[in-house]
Amino acid sequence: MADNKGNIEDPDVSRRRFFTLMGLGVGWGSIVTALGGAGLGAARYMIPSVLYEPPTVFKIGKPENYGIGVDTKLKKERQIWVVRNERGIYVMVAICRHLGCTPNFFQDQSLFRCPCHGSIYDTHGNVVGGPAPRTLWRAAISLDPVDGEIVVSFNTRQDPDPVGTPEGLMVEEAGREVEPYFLKV
Amino acid sequence: MLKLLEQIRGIVNKTQVFKSIFRHGYPDTDGNRALVMFSNVILHLHPVRVQRGALKIKFTWCLGGLTFFFFIMLAITGVVLMFYYVPDTRRAYNDIRDLGTVIYFGSLFRAVHRWSAHAMVFSVWMHMTRVFMTGSYKPPREFNWVVGVILLVTTLVLSWTGYLLPWDQLALWAVTVGSKMAEATPFIGASGPFGPELGRNSGNDMAFALLGGTVVGQSALLRFYVLHCLALPLITALFIAVHFWRIRKDGFSGPL
Amino acid sequence: MSDQASDSLSSSPKKNSLAELIKKTALKKIGPEDTVLVWPNLVYLELICMMVATAILLFLSLVSPAPLEELASADTTPNPTKAPWYFLGLQELLVYFDPWLAGMVLPTFIIIGLILIPYVDPNPLGKGYYTFKERKFSMLGFGFGLSLWWILILIGVFFRGLDWSWYWPWDDPHVHMPAGAVKLIDLQIILQNTLGLSEAPLVTLGRYAVTIGNLITWALFLGFYAVGFTVPFIFFRDFYRRLGFVRYNVMMFFFISMMGVPMKIFLRLLADVKYVLVTPWFKF
Repeated sequence: MADNKGNIEDPDVSRRRFFTLMGLGVGWGSIVTALGGAGLGAARYMIPSVLYEPPTVFKIGKPENYGIGVDTKLKKERQIWVVRNERGIYVMVAICRHLGCTPNFFQDQSLFRCPCHGSIYDTHGNVVGGPAPRTLWRAAISLDPVDGEIVVSFNTRQDPDPVGTPEGLMVEEAGREVEPYFLKV
Repeated sequence: MLKLLEQIRGIVNKTQVFKSIFRHGYPDTDGNRALVMFSNVILHLHPVRVQRGALKIKFTWCLGGLTFFFFIMLAITGVVLMFYYVPDTRRAYNDIRDLGTVIYFGSLFRAVHRWSAHAMVFSVWMHMTRVFMTGSYKPPREFNWVVGVILLVTTLVLSWTGYLLPWDQLALWAVTVGSKMAEATPFIGASGPFGPELGRNSGNDMAFALLGGTVVGQSALLRFYVLHCLALPLITALFIAVHFWRIRKDGFSGPL
Repeated sequence: MSDQASDSLSSSPKKNSLAELIKKTALKKIGPEDTVLVWPNLVYLELICMMVATAILLFLSLVSPAPLEELASADTTPNPTKAPWYFLGLQELLVYFDPWLAGMVLPTFIIIGLILIPYVDPNPLGKGYYTFKERKFSMLGFGFGLSLWWILILIGVFFRGLDWSWYWPWDDPHVHMPAGAVKLIDLQIILQNTLGLSEAPLVTLGRYAVTIGNLITWALFLGFYAVGFTVPFIFFRDFYRRLGFVRYNVMMFFFISMMGVPMKIFLRLLADVKYVLVTPWFKF
């Protein structure tokens, strides 16, 4: 018999040993591969390919309907705020960037405040307090060429990396007021 | 009167039916008391004899047993509640409201289910604290402590999946927050560190797999229902079995 | 009895012959007189426990039935939104840390840390009885973490109100607190402003512009861990020797991380620090 030091070589035994080891390797290898494949398949199974969710592109009426300031009337139905300033209109997504609650707008303070963990945003979406790590999203908007209504693309969102300042997490407003996230109307 | 009862018991104990079910006589002798523990599948969780210390309330505070009891309570009331509940976003809320308004004792079953859940979370924490305080996790019981921590996690996940089911505001927002946390997981979440760099977006990340979509909607409700009523209870029961078996093998760590 | 038997098994792996086992067990003198029959002693105790628990559950259920809030609506978040009490510690952590940290990394650390406890505690004393004297460090360490968790839960339950602001019990819970008091700054900006450092980046690694202030925050962060690892090693050498290299480092990593949690909370509360570390990929 061949011992571990290998100083007695019996070709039959070492060949048998080789085939045994190879058989074991192939056998266990296939089992592990099959199980791994099944695991990956199960993981993929959990991620659906087709969704049956509400539409994410919708119209919100003509720009004339929105006056200066924050309009909260679509928050309930569409989860957005429509904001008009001196230069034009943008649409902010009413989802807190901390953990997805819906912030409330306080007209008297001109602030959005989140009830879940106390994040505070100004009317531009900048974070002026609380734990939110990024500024509020702005959704892509355009004018329908036929009826002139604003078309909101809810899932196309502007998400700039904010800069920390003593006033909070800020983004240059000029850089945000660009197509397709801003309408000069 | 007592004598009559004893006579009846004597006759019953000798019948073929009694003997076919119980393999022991009435447990009033040491032999029969040992046989009860040997021959009863449920009582067989216990050994025949335990150290005196294991009986000290001030040592165990009955916390492990109580946790198991709450789990049983939850299983029973949970099955009962399932008879009237459809995991459909259009129906779920009204089904739960019906439990409180038009179904006899529906409100009671739901309340017991809820209080048992609170009690189980509390007693599982207290049990862990007690086991730490008495050093009962020390060798040879390290692995049972690990099983216990896993049970703590499954208990919390069971609670969390449970409160989506009524489809009320608490349900929706608790699960929204939870799924946002999943979205923030490093590497596999769309908003987590290095997630976007690794190609994760809202359509292929951790939160998407958890909710089965991008919003807390019908697929999320169904997923949480299956997890809450089937998958997690089975996993928990399996680990409870291992937990108990290890206690039987390793014995109590308590004083004599 | 099986307790002592398996103890001796693990403590003397060299000699665990049956004779040895019997001898050791016999030495500890656990005879039948030290044990009792499970039926009726334990079984009836359990029955009583179950009866009492059932009675309490029924009483609570009758006094306070399960609540049902309004129908779920994605457009309106109730104010405040509070999770059940057992998750309020987590919810409170989310105020001070980013979601990836408070929601994912810290809970994972807590779970792994709990799992590792039996493997990093080499102290053979205090097994099977309540004692503080024989295991001071582990009691204090565990007690610290546990009380931190419960304090956060209590804060969440009793001191949080509208907009997740802090409400004392005597404050009117229906009036919003002013939002002005919260102005948070990153640590590197505080350093820049107080030390008068340049804001220009030293190097730019892809999206990452590394400034002097940023480097100092890294040094502070890593220094916190370095000091935490080194101080016990130098001043409590016995402690290190008892644990050994691997156990010491694993245990200290989780211990220092645990101590870091309240430190970050205090930095936030006392110095209005939003982030200690800022990178393009994660903020901490």
